[in-house]
Amino acid sequence: MLLQMADKLQDNSIIIALTSTGWTAAGLAILHYYSMFVLVGSVAIVDLRVIGIIGRHHNVSDFSRRIFPWVWLSLAVNLISGFIMFAGDATAYVPTRAFQFKLGVVLVAIILAVIVQWKIPVWDQSPVLPARAKILGLISLLFWFGAILMGVEVPAISGIG
Amino acid sequence: MVGSSLIPFGHWLQNRTFALAIADSAWAYPFVQATHFSGISLWLGTNFAVDISLLGVGNRRQTPAQLSDALFFWNWLGFALAVLGGFLLFSVSAETFVINPAFLVKLGVLVPAALITHIVIQCKIHTWGQTAQTPAAAKRAGSLEVLLWFCVATAAVLIPYGPLVY
Repeated sequence: MLLQMADKLQDNSIIIALTSTGWTAAGLAILHYYSMFVLVGSVAIVDLRVIGIIGRHHNVSDFSRRIFPWVWLSLAVNLISGFIMFAGDATAYVPTRAFQFKLGVVLVAIILAVIVQWKIPVWDQSPVLPARAKILGLISLLFWFGAILMGVEVPAISGIG
Repeated sequence: MVGSSLIPFGHWLQNRTFALAIADSAWAYPFVQATHFSGISLWLGTNFAVDISLLGVGNRRQTPAQLSDALFFWNWLGFALAVLGGFLLFSVSAETFVINPAFLVKLGVLVPAALITHIVIQCKIHTWGQTAQTPAAAKRAGSLEVLLWFCVATAAVLIPYGPLVY
């Protein structure tokens, strides 16, 4: 059933137009890569602050308020461009284990980012950030690195993309 | 072609033991790529935060100079990782990279221009970024840096569209 949906998606005329022309396909890849760099770099700033090894003299909520809008904006660009790239070759991506694993890692990383942003005002009320906050920041950082690694493993393992 | 004189160097580099080891390993190449991308993420993420702050956005409780100082070490650590990963990726297929137009424009024109802009910003940040409101020159420099690194990413994505690298 998933493959049938993938097949329909792949045959959509807008998807074909966007992914089969050289310049639009390159444009999608440029948006996907650039937004990924800004996304992961921005999340890393907040995570490193939560862990306590960046800007220790700065309030963690200030970092969060400044950085998170860019995290969500770059995530939106990354997801939209990534979805269109996926749709162009959906029947090949859907059954690929490495791609499924990548999506799982990205999903967990996004959930961790939501939890970190949600918890920061609570953690910030105590004079020292609790240990569980630092552990969560570290796990989040590792998952975002994992997302990058899986992003490059998909073409390396399956030859797609 | 501009890079054709570099072909002997590329040939020499890609036949070094470390380059052959990466090329022959099933797992090393993706890890080197991930190191390059993680370094770029740290570099661009920290650059982007300071550039946006130079545009006067989000400076209510933290000046651009304070933000830049807090991110300084991680900014250059990201750059070091990006260069290390990038050099290793380059060395695997150096002979084809040195004649690739997008690669030559990226490394010969865009990266130096973006890097100079970045260094100028870091030298000027304590003049431009002492208060939440930044001068017009700071806004121009911040916008220029965001644009230049976007151009670098564009050239990088276009590399496979040149003479075949992969």
